[in-house]
Amino acid sequence: MTRLPALTGALCTVLILAGCTSVAPDGLRSDVARHTQGRLPAGTELPSPATAAGPQADAPAGTATAALDPASPHPAHHAAQVDAWLAQPVDADTAVRIAVLNNPGLQAQLAQLAAQDAARAQSLTLINPSLTLGRFTNAHERELEREIGLGIVDLITLPWRARWQGWQMERATLETAQAVLRLAADARRAWLNAVAAQQTLQAHARLHDAAVAGGELARRMAAVGNFSQLQQARELRVQQDAAAQLARARLAAALAREDLTRTLGLWGPQAMALRLPAQLPPLPRAEDLRPGDAAEATALRERLDVRALRRDLDTTADRLGVARVGALFGDMGLSHSRNTSTERDSGHREQTRGWELTLPLPLFDWGGSASAAARAELDRSAARLRDTALRARSEARSHWLRYRTAWDLAHQQHAEVLPTAQFMQDEAVLRYNGMFISTWDLLAQARSTTLAVAQATDAVRDFWLAEVDLQLALTGTSPDGAASAPRDVALTTSTPTREGH
Amino acid sequence: MQRRHFFAGAATAVAAASVNRAALAALPEPVSQASADTAAPLAPPNGRPYRPVITLNGWTLPWRMHNGVKEFHLVAEPVVREVAPGFFVNMWGYNGQSPGPTIEVVHGDRVRLFVTNRLPEHTTVHWHGQRLPNGMDGVGGLTQPHIAPGKTFVYEFEARRPGTFMYHPHADEMVQMAMGMMGLWITHPRGAHPLIAEVQRDYALLLAAYDVEPGSKTPRVAEMTDFNIWTFNSRVFPAISPLVARQNDRVRIRVGNLTMTNHPIHLHGHEFEVTGTDGGPTPRAARWPEVTTDVAVGQMRQVEFIADEPGDWAFHCHKSHHTMGAMGHDLPTLIGVDHRGLVEKIQQIVPDYMRMGERGMADMGGMEMPLPDNTFPMMTGAGPFGPLEMGGMFTTLKVRRDLGANDHRDPGWYRHPAGTVAREWTGAPLDAQAPRQTAPGTAPGAAQVHKPGHAGHAAPGAPSPGAHDGH
Repeated sequence: MTRLPALTGALCTVLILAGCTSVAPDGLRSDVARHTQGRLPAGTELPSPATAAGPQADAPAGTATAALDPASPHPAHHAAQVDAWLAQPVDADTAVRIAVLNNPGLQAQLAQLAAQDAARAQSLTLINPSLTLGRFTNAHERELEREIGLGIVDLITLPWRARWQGWQMERATLETAQAVLRLAADARRAWLNAVAAQQTLQAHARLHDAAVAGGELARRMAAVGNFSQLQQARELRVQQDAAAQLARARLAAALAREDLTRTLGLWGPQAMALRLPAQLPPLPRAEDLRPGDAAEATALRERLDVRALRRDLDTTADRLGVARVGALFGDMGLSHSRNTSTERDSGHREQTRGWELTLPLPLFDWGGSASAAARAELDRSAARLRDTALRARSEARSHWLRYRTAWDLAHQQHAEVLPTAQFMQDEAVLRYNGMFISTWDLLAQARSTTLAVAQATDAVRDFWLAEVDLQLALTGTSPDGAASAPRDVALTTSTPTREGH
Repeated sequence: MQRRHFFAGAATAVAAASVNRAALAALPEPVSQASADTAAPLAPPNGRPYRPVITLNGWTLPWRMHNGVKEFHLVAEPVVREVAPGFFVNMWGYNGQSPGPTIEVVHGDRVRLFVTNRLPEHTTVHWHGQRLPNGMDGVGGLTQPHIAPGKTFVYEFEARRPGTFMYHPHADEMVQMAMGMMGLWITHPRGAHPLIAEVQRDYALLLAAYDVEPGSKTPRVAEMTDFNIWTFNSRVFPAISPLVARQNDRVRIRVGNLTMTNHPIHLHGHEFEVTGTDGGPTPRAARWPEVTTDVAVGQMRQVEFIADEPGDWAFHCHKSHHTMGAMGHDLPTLIGVDHRGLVEKIQQIVPDYMRMGERGMADMGGMEMPLPDNTFPMMTGAGPFGPLEMGGMFTTLKVRRDLGANDHRDPGWYRHPAGTVAREWTGAPLDAQAPRQTAPGTAPGAAQVHKPGHAGHAAPGAPSPGAHDGH
């Protein structure tokens, strides 16, 4: 047993390394939180793992609803927190907080991250040594074979593998953090769309009321003989148009709200309890806008997708160095055997002890293909990093441009278009006072003023949407192309239709 | 309402001319008028004597005598006319005003007219109704070259017959007359004339119409029919001076029409005769009494009467829209339309909305509603008994017993002798059972008419045709 110290030393190393392989108790959530820190509104917290929820005693037992309740597998304090947030009209930041805490899709992703972490830990655990026992007899002797074997390539490559797996987990964590940021952006977009749609709906309700009043006045005009039925029908058309637009605006508002509650992971009474502010946040002042000059540098420094790919590149570069070794010594094994043979007749016992090292002969595979694959992998990784960096720079520029233009447009709506519309309405009232135009002309002008208000709302919404995208493009990840396009549902319903006159 | 102030004499307006220091060979210095008030009649300081006319809200152009020739200097130029107090219109006119100054001469006078063009485009002056050499008639291109901007032309002829005439451009006249270029020309008879009576009051005015978009200041020169400013001498009631007469004065009113439609000019309380046109004095056998005379486009009428009935008598165009200020001509009638429950709804989207027209438009006369800038209200003017609801070709003939012979000032409202004003009936009330129409648009007892094939095809929400239940 004099060789034991060496073996003991090796085993100690293995054990130390194996210590690194323990599963993170919070499923890496704190690592995700570290990446999203400063990129989310203050007070945003990731949901605790479902397993920490404890007994689900508070959920009504035995009902299908309880099983379907998305909130039930979570600690009671989550639900209480969401309820507390829902007690007030929900602003954009709170919407993000609710979504991050409450969105089941994100919870699934976090759970997957935890599962990946567990898998990583498992993969770093050494394969158990094998013990081979054999008993062979012939006419003369009885032979007992005891062999303890250990695949040592696992052991040799353990430090590398631990490092790669660590990097891989960091990459997965970064990707999950990006998912968190994307969800936050989705929540902001859904919130902006819902508030804007609600505001547009109010404008359309006012329009409809006025059109109904005009239609009713026209009906009374016809009733006393002052309007022909054709004239009345023209005003009726205005009313019908307004009703159709109101229906569309109502649908758009309902869909936008539905989108928001879905993103926030709300349902049932919580979805009912969700209240929104009456108006979008006001436009920031020009001097408070983000400057565009540092956009590219910020994106390259801050973006998590760029970081993740840089980590990829590190991993593949590291892996290239050992690829050949791995290929050559893939089946390397170490075993220690102690064989006892006993002469049946004499009872003479003979023992054989020895080490056995199994080495593959690199006769056919000299590891060339493996290293070529690793090199290609490295190239791919580098190219992907370059590609993403390129995209990050371009997105930083283009989203800043969209952000700035959206501000200019919204500012123009508020500083120029709305005052002009208001002035036109005031002048129309003056013309009505002087009996230059009729009540219906006045109502038509009022409708166009209200539409201008609705369009100004859309412009403010588009600015904030652009702001969400820019924020994501600068510090998070690539904004989803489809989602970042301005949603024109409300806008298409607010096409001015001035009938007659 | 701002009251018109007559000048104490001609001196104020003609000061520049009477001290003309220019060499006689040079152009007469042009005289300009800044005020739209009615100037006092200009008693002729030299030349043949005559009784001057009073140009309502206008003035007479002073002249100088040069070797026996009366020399006038007209300057065609852009002006700003105060059509009513606070209502200013960019016009083109002569010597500071539109219409331009009245030119008064005497039958047989030799007249030399210098015309300087300060307009941005060429012009000419046509002397409407004059007998003159063809080359002085002032039709650009036909009888003479146009007067280019900055140029001065001379017209010279003899006033060969007495009468009431006008002058106006005959170059781009559609634009130039729509912009207010016009003026009166009066040729007085030399001494007694068998067909021209001596009058104590002689008023002159031109009818002009403009289309000034509410809130703007310049007439739309392309308009042909839909005018909204109807004027006597480019003024609208209540800014038009009254015609003032001492009781039993013989009064002459000269009216020329340079609008695009005819105007039946109507005088209350008196009969008049048309004693002359731009063709000259009317033969006595051709005169008949009237209270309204139609002045067709491009015509002049001079009417005469004895102002023997004291009071404030209306004098106006009888086309009722022509006594209205600016208004929309495409408005539906709201009379009898129940607005209950709707005004509040409309106010939700138009907070300043007010119901108007449900009972007619008379409310407008009494209402002081904010209007677009520089816009003249549709109905305005207040009399001693309430709103006059007028705002165009309307003024008053004020006949008073005690008035100075040359007093043209507004004597104020007439003080009616006791018992001579219409009053409310205070006897037995109207029989409540008297039949009256209750359902607007449906005469009581009228046969119900159905158009064939239209039964049940009424527009949605509309009453069925022929419905005669009272709504």
